[in-house]
Amino acid sequence: MAAPAYPGGVTRWVSGQWRNKKRPPALRPPRPLALADKVASRREQPTEATCITEMSVMMACWKQNDFNDAPCAEEIRMFYDCVAKAEKEHKNQNEDTLSSRGNLPSSKVNKLLKRFPQITRYV
Amino acid sequence: MAAPSAAGLGRRLRAWLPRIMPVRWSRYNPSYLEPEVKKESYQKPLEELTEEERQQMELKAVRPIKAAPPTLSSSVFSDPMISKFTNMMMKSGNKVLARSLMSQTLEAIKRKQLEKYHKAPENEKETIECNPYVIFHQALKNCQPIIGLSNITKGGKTYQVPIPLTDNRKRFLAMKWLITECRENKHRRTMMPEKLSQELLLAFNNEGPVIKKKHVLHKMAEANRAYAHFRWW
Repeated sequence: MAAPAYPGGVTRWVSGQWRNKKRPPALRPPRPLALADKVASRREQPTEATCITEMSVMMACWKQNDFNDAPCAEEIRMFYDCVAKAEKEHKNQNEDTLSSRGNLPSSKVNKLLKRFPQITRYV
Repeated sequence: MAAPSAAGLGRRLRAWLPRIMPVRWSRYNPSYLEPEVKKESYQKPLEELTEEERQQMELKAVRPIKAAPPTLSSSVFSDPMISKFTNMMMKSGNKVLARSLMSQTLEAIKRKQLEKYHKAPENEKETIECNPYVIFHQALKNCQPIIGLSNITKGGKTYQVPIPLTDNRKRFLAMKWLITECRENKHRRTMMPEKLSQELLLAFNNEGPVIKKKHVLHKMAEANRAYAHFRWW
């Protein structure tokens, strides 16, 4: 005859472990089991520096030509173009869209969550 | 009792009106527009104006206009770079002296170049530039640095990081270097116009101490290029 299959709690009770040190988990939820209206503040990672490749190309050209500007005119022009583009993009980027890495800073997330709070009770 | 309170109320409720005498401050009401000094923009016939220029003209009919500052001029001889340079040379508000020094400098440049021109053989005469304004602009352009260094603190230590400079900053640095060079490294008895004309002609040919200073800055930036990643913009 197979061992009788008692419910899980019964076997544990019979074994007597509850009478010793081990107590059942006394989870009386002190806070309501609902999502909070804010996110933990996170240190925002700094964005990468722009135009590094152009800068290094220009510096290599300088090293070859003894820092004269005339032979390096093409590289310098490319560097200036890159800088102007980066500046324009920086100006145009909207504050409320995602950053280049696809993250929103925690302050903005909190503002959005505050506008649409979690409903904890129905009236 | 009633009289003072009525006067106070009237003062608070009065609508904002422009003054009779416009004041040459920098803090104007935001509705004031900038003055247009260029004569060419007023000589264009009505049909040639684009849509936005027409709208601008209509806006100007209803909005007040700021007073033009005394440095802004519609003359063909005025040059904003030269005005900026004169202002930077000025000490304690002595604009008269600064302007006379500037004109003497330009005259000195012209004299030196003309002397060179008349002494040069026929085939080389075209290569000599005699226009002092062209020499001034080209010299300033040659003196402008291309990247600058800025102090960025990371982990408690400050590093000199190469950064791209804005146009205004480049112009300012070029002018500042020229002026400090001319003020400090000259004999007690040489006059400023003479020294300045000397420096401008050297800079026009990509020689001289100011160009050397620019190269030193570039060399330092090149040496510190490993720290370029510390920038976050």
